[in-house]
Amino acid sequence: MNELDKIPVRQELSVAEGNVKRSNPLANVFDELVRFCQSRSMFMLHYCTGCGAIELPPAMTSRFDMERLGIQPMVTPRQADILLITGYVSVKTLKRIILTYEQMPSPKYVIGICSCTVNGGMYWQSYATAKVLKEYLPVDIYIAGCMPRPEAVISGLRDLMGDIKSGRADNWKRYFQNYDHYLGNQQKLFGEDWQTPTDIIAEAEHYGLMTDQTLGEHTALLQKHQQPLEALEFSLGEKREKIQGENPREKNNE
Amino acid sequence: MSKELNLWLDDLLKDIKIIQFKRKNSRRVRIDIAPEALPALLELLQGRASYVHLSAITCVDWIEDDEFELVYHVWSYETNSLVSAHTRISRDPGVYLSVYDLYTPAAFFERDIHEMFGLYFEGSPDMEKFILTEWNGPPPMRKDFDSEAFVNQTFSWEEYHPQWLKDIEAEGGGITTRPEDVR
Repeated sequence: MNELDKIPVRQELSVAEGNVKRSNPLANVFDELVRFCQSRSMFMLHYCTGCGAIELPPAMTSRFDMERLGIQPMVTPRQADILLITGYVSVKTLKRIILTYEQMPSPKYVIGICSCTVNGGMYWQSYATAKVLKEYLPVDIYIAGCMPRPEAVISGLRDLMGDIKSGRADNWKRYFQNYDHYLGNQQKLFGEDWQTPTDIIAEAEHYGLMTDQTLGEHTALLQKHQQPLEALEFSLGEKREKIQGENPREKNNE
Repeated sequence: MSKELNLWLDDLLKDIKIIQFKRKNSRRVRIDIAPEALPALLELLQGRASYVHLSAITCVDWIEDDEFELVYHVWSYETNSLVSAHTRISRDPGVYLSVYDLYTPAAFFERDIHEMFGLYFEGSPDMEKFILTEWNGPPPMRKDFDSEAFVNQTFSWEEYHPQWLKDIEAEGGGITTRPEDVR
């Protein structure tokens, strides 16, 4: 067992890779405190797309009890820190996942559970499922398995907690920094008029994360097709009458 | 009571010359019938033998015979038995009659079959897209649609032995416990 400890599983981040310590020691302490608090109160939006969702109830409830680690389920994307994608992602679902992800406030983390999010899993031949999740979203941690046990899920979440505590978990920045790459993959799958209500480029400017990879040919295509959002019409009464008129059964009865 | 009803029904159905009748067990009957006679058979079963529940319509693509096989499963609560009526229609042009006027739930199954196999049902109330609303390719359940080729053309794959794993292996790490070590 001792030999296992010596194996370098993960390289420590150097300063050059963005793990910049501030010169004021007090600010460092404050940063560490903030990161510790972030890692200890994680609200999880579980987007249960596939069978891996069945491992979450035991992980969350009394048997394995995630809440003792500060991980709780959350009902809306606007209040969530983690997006948990459990299982295969169909092309239709992927659109909703991207919408959900873009609504979450930063910092945000994506966890792909099960083999299907890694490489399509047992649905690798299917025409309807997207194969590699990290092409469309920056994934922080993959928990492989078909399906992973609740222990494995909690172990993966603990890894993420460690990453947040040490400041390594900054994959959410990559979505803004390389938005053109992610948008290009999304457009390849959904067609070139694909758009979401969230203005990612403006958010990238807001967070100060604009790089030369943020804008490109795909974002130019997005701006070409982008339509302003309009409020949906709400007319319950008229619609009901219309449906009744169209139903051939009702016509026969008359 | 239900056993007697079944026996009477068997005798009746055996008398009809144009169908092939086969009782599989006390609760299942298979009937092979020509496509032009199938709506009449369903009407007979529904009206005279209380087969009121259309459980499903299934479709099979027999590409070598150039035919679609449609199977109508109808259930009777009186005789507690299921009749599976098999019929075969030509793959081209792939048009058949809807049984929506007999069984309302047929609209659901026919729309699904239209989407998955491209088979058109005349008289069905709605032949629009159903589940695959964002799919523009050919009907995916047809045998001539090559799903694997489509996937290889559309999606890219994660590498199973990427460079970072090789780097870790070069330092003596990597997958420490292989499945064969555990077993």
